[in-house]
Amino acid sequence: MNPVIETKNLSKWYGNVLGLSDVFLQISSGITGLLGPNGAGKSTLLSLITGQIKPSIGSVSLLGERIRNNYPLLARIGYCPERDSFYEEMTGWQYLTGLLKLGHFSSSQIESLAEKALDIVELVEDKHRVIRSYSQGMRQRLKFAQAIAHNPEVLILDEPLNGLDPLGKRKLISLIKSYRQKEKTVLVSSHVLPEIEALTQQIILIHQGKIFAQGDIHYIRDLLETHPHKISIRCSHPRKMASEFIHKPYVLKVSFGTSQDSLIVETNNRDGLFSIIPSLSVKNNIQIDEITSPDDNLQAVFDYLVGK
Amino acid sequence: MIHIKKGQISFYWKSVKDVFSFSFSLGKRTKRTRVFYLLSFLPVVMALVIKFAQYFYGRTDIQGIYIFSNIIMMFYLQFLILLLALFFGSSVCLDELEGKTLTYLTTRPVPKPAIILGKYAAYSVLIVLMTGAGVVFSFLILNCENLGDVSLYKILLRDISVLCLGLISYASFFTFLGTFLKKSVMVGLIFGFGWENVVQYFPGSTQKFTIAHYLKSLLPSLNTGRFSFLLFRLEPTSPQAAVGMLFLITGFFLVLACVIFSFKEYLFED
Amino acid sequence: MSIKERGYTHWDGKLKESRFPWWPISRLGIRLTFKKKFFKFFFFLSLSPALAYLVGIYVSERMEEFRFMVQESVSFLQINPNYFKSYLTGDFLYFMIILILVFAASGLISDDLRHNSLQLYFSRPLKKRDYFMGKSSVIVFFLFILTMIPSLVLFLMKLIFSGSFKFFSTYPWLPLSIIGYSLLLTVFFSFYALFLSSLSPNRRYVAVLILGFYFFSDILFGIFKGIFHSHYFSLLSIKSNLQQVGALFFQQKTPYEISWVFSLLVLLGVCVLSALVLRKKVQGVRIIK
Repeated sequence: MNPVIETKNLSKWYGNVLGLSDVFLQISSGITGLLGPNGAGKSTLLSLITGQIKPSIGSVSLLGERIRNNYPLLARIGYCPERDSFYEEMTGWQYLTGLLKLGHFSSSQIESLAEKALDIVELVEDKHRVIRSYSQGMRQRLKFAQAIAHNPEVLILDEPLNGLDPLGKRKLISLIKSYRQKEKTVLVSSHVLPEIEALTQQIILIHQGKIFAQGDIHYIRDLLETHPHKISIRCSHPRKMASEFIHKPYVLKVSFGTSQDSLIVETNNRDGLFSIIPSLSVKNNIQIDEITSPDDNLQAVFDYLVGK
Repeated sequence: MIHIKKGQISFYWKSVKDVFSFSFSLGKRTKRTRVFYLLSFLPVVMALVIKFAQYFYGRTDIQGIYIFSNIIMMFYLQFLILLLALFFGSSVCLDELEGKTLTYLTTRPVPKPAIILGKYAAYSVLIVLMTGAGVVFSFLILNCENLGDVSLYKILLRDISVLCLGLISYASFFTFLGTFLKKSVMVGLIFGFGWENVVQYFPGSTQKFTIAHYLKSLLPSLNTGRFSFLLFRLEPTSPQAAVGMLFLITGFFLVLACVIFSFKEYLFED
Repeated sequence: MSIKERGYTHWDGKLKESRFPWWPISRLGIRLTFKKKFFKFFFFLSLSPALAYLVGIYVSERMEEFRFMVQESVSFLQINPNYFKSYLTGDFLYFMIILILVFAASGLISDDLRHNSLQLYFSRPLKKRDYFMGKSSVIVFFLFILTMIPSLVLFLMKLIFSGSFKFFSTYPWLPLSIIGYSLLLTVFFSFYALFLSSLSPNRRYVAVLILGFYFFSDILFGIFKGIFHSHYFSLLSIKSNLQQVGALFFQQKTPYEISWVFSLLVLLGVCVLSALVLRKKVQGVRIIK
């Protein structure tokens, strides 16, 4: 399958400051999370992908076409910028219909598309209020509405969950997730790990302008062979289980958890460890209650990759 | 949605129209537009005061059209059109940069030159309307005794045309400055209130490097009393050449603004 | 640990009140102005009249050597209070003051309105008075460098070049006039610029207003004077009013045949109006309608 977004050797300098360095990416349809701390280069990457700025080196293609100064292609993209900036003196309705007009829709189309987008973000009742009187959450939702209003094939969302309350976040997350079913391509950036985790398993880790990893969160985790995985096992005889594990070559460390019936095993071969657990259980008559991987989340992967 | 094909002239035109209508509706509702509307109506108040004072002082010997011409020369040509063109012209690009809203326009399927041309057209119409309304009302007040005189309307038409030409040419220059420089207002102020006036004292053809020269060439010279220095050493260009030159200036700076806007990378200040 | 115990640490010290709480605002304003592109160029350009007047004083002391150059300008080179008045009330100096205000003062309050930072100021031990002091002292700093300091230096140079205190003994009040008129200029332009800066969060708009009002007032005067030939219309012009009051400070004939009292009242009126608007516009909390 052809990638929807592709970057080759992409680099960007702002004077002497390196914004992005040598980025090779291939992003297919579905939701992809771009994760990195503040100043990592997320917004630079998204600006390059949407053609806002030109690369110092390398190229970006979107839907198989060059993006920079390719305005017809922009009709197929929805972009939600990170900045909280609006035409403050307009009402929500004027803002949305005005921007749709720039997409060259007919008047009737504009009205129905705007109405639909406002309905999705639950701003229909406030559509005739001036934007400067909107709350932070409403502004964020309106920004999202302008990105989705023209029903684009590719959605680029730069920190879309900023400033939303927990309920608003949950609603927007489920809304973004619904685009996966519509077979759209969504690239969403965030510096908040749980937000990305809640949205997708497909992630790109970025730090100091470099891509650290790309792929499924589990896949990335597996790539890090040198980094031990932690497996927590809750069972009837944790000490007995520990004595069995300790002799295995890929088990690096065994410790006991806070509760009396659990043990934590550190291994550099997770699949190997999982494959022997059933036989050990049967052989020693140990009842396994639960197996979890406490560090199989983005925080762990990210911390490891950035060398914390 | 219409089918978008790159390079189509009709599509360019439609894009300009769409940006125009968006920017016009945005521009007309801002507070500062209202303030400038008020400012452009000051000559109307002035005309009313003058008319009232004329009757009060019994100075009915001064013709209304003479006062009107003085107002055109001193208030409009030397001041208001410069101020309006400077503010709205530089706003074409700078408003979007300062408000950080440029992204909304540059991520729409419109060619970048269309953004500049559409916004420039919208703001030009706004400032022409502002100026025109004030000019017409002050003309009517100052010439209320001679409203049947057709020749006066010719003067009005000529003056409005000159002001419009001034507005569009100054606005195109300031639009160019706005796309090019962050401190365009400062440079614009020095250009408008410094260079445009000072150069008239320079010898030879130097005065032809000002927009004011071509505008003044289109107006008959008159004794402007205390402000007679405004016409100091004016060696007028022929009206046809002056109009041609003003259109050329407008076109040149607009093209330049479009080219710069298409290729320059704008970064927001955070 | 219960939640109750996790309170904030309370500071038991005593807040020491600064004598000049506005100083950090001024310092920042001055520093930021100097960082602006082209500012230094214009600032030094604005000192060029002072340099020209200094040359004038030098030439006046060497009149015999320079007579071939200054045949028609001898009257100009008579160093007396009028010489200092013409420096401080010159069109070019006023124009440069306006340009410096455009650079240094247009964003003083409007930037705070734009970035919603007034509440940050007023959440600190800072009174409105301190805020205005801080902002206006940025203008005071630049205008003193343009008016008071060069004029006093010119006065001093006159004494040095002439090698005697005769000039001082003839006009002992002149330094006070210089200081007084410079103060008037500075106070007036501080009110004028801060008032306009508080009108909009858009600095460009304020810049246009600062220059626009100044020129507009003069154009208005020109039109009315041209038609009615009455000197009373000089009261409409900022520049004319300043020149009228300037003549009083330097004990010279006023340029227009009306009393300087009217001009002073107009200038005071502008300051009072500005103060009222500033009080209303600068609030810690802004209500968005």
